[in-house]
Amino acid sequence: MTTIDGVAHDAEVTRNDEVGHFPGDPDMWLFVVVESLVFTSYFCIYLYSRTQQQQAFLQAQAALTMWVGILDTIVLLTSSWAIARCVQHTRAAQYRAARRSALATVGLGVGFFALKIAEWVHLIGDGHTFTSSEFMQHYFFLTSIHAVHLIIGFVVLGVLLYQLHDPDRRSHETVETCATYWHTVDLFWVVIFAMLYIVR
Amino acid sequence: MNLTPAKRLFVAWIVLVAVTLIYLVIDGAVDDHGVLVASTEVSVAAITLALVKVRIIMRELMDVRHAPKVLRTVTDALVVSMGMFLLGSYLIGSAIA
Repeated sequence: MTTIDGVAHDAEVTRNDEVGHFPGDPDMWLFVVVESLVFTSYFCIYLYSRTQQQQAFLQAQAALTMWVGILDTIVLLTSSWAIARCVQHTRAAQYRAARRSALATVGLGVGFFALKIAEWVHLIGDGHTFTSSEFMQHYFFLTSIHAVHLIIGFVVLGVLLYQLHDPDRRSHETVETCATYWHTVDLFWVVIFAMLYIVR
Repeated sequence: MNLTPAKRLFVAWIVLVAVTLIYLVIDGAVDDHGVLVASTEVSVAAITLALVKVRIIMRELMDVRHAPKVLRTVTDALVVSMGMFLLGSYLIGSAIA
């Protein structure tokens, strides 16, 4: 048993154990489903296009570095783990630990963004731009639209941190909704990574 | 095995990282000079592993495992339909090409 804010809580017995709890606002889940379908539509066009011009796509794809994509993915997966811990801490009313997890998420998100910018600079320096090939058009479009989602994610995490900081504004549902958004940024990247770096 | 929520989350993260590292093993679609070559096997494996990761993220990290049945069904249907559309686009495109 641990005591937080004068209230006794079992650190590991959380609402997580309840079956039938909707994690976050249902509207956010509608967003997740709609966005997934929009991204899937784009991926279908991308996959079909690359099968029609395999050699051109493979040639341009060779400019990407696999380990950078792997590192990007692990950093973002770790940020997703951190925000999930934030939700668990919040449910257990461990708000200080929840804030630390949220700050770790922000840090890992910034790390991912820095890696992405470094990759863009490296590619552009080597002459690979939005107009240099169809593969690079897809690469820059997908990574840019993902980066826009990531930047919105930073705003969402700001809201989450503000709520956790103020005892009068703390809402489990808002924390779960913000976490759901951040996870969505992660799962879009998981598929984008496979599409751009691995598919042959 | 009855894991605490925190430990279960950690195991999910380990599995996600391990599945990501599998890409290093399957990324052998190169010719004798190290130039990338087309490979249906690598592409199908890449898409399948990505969707496995999407489902793990949804079930474990996004806590869909404990959500009402409607959300569990919708998210599973989403992953299956994504798989059908993505693999379908690649395989039909390859057949036409």
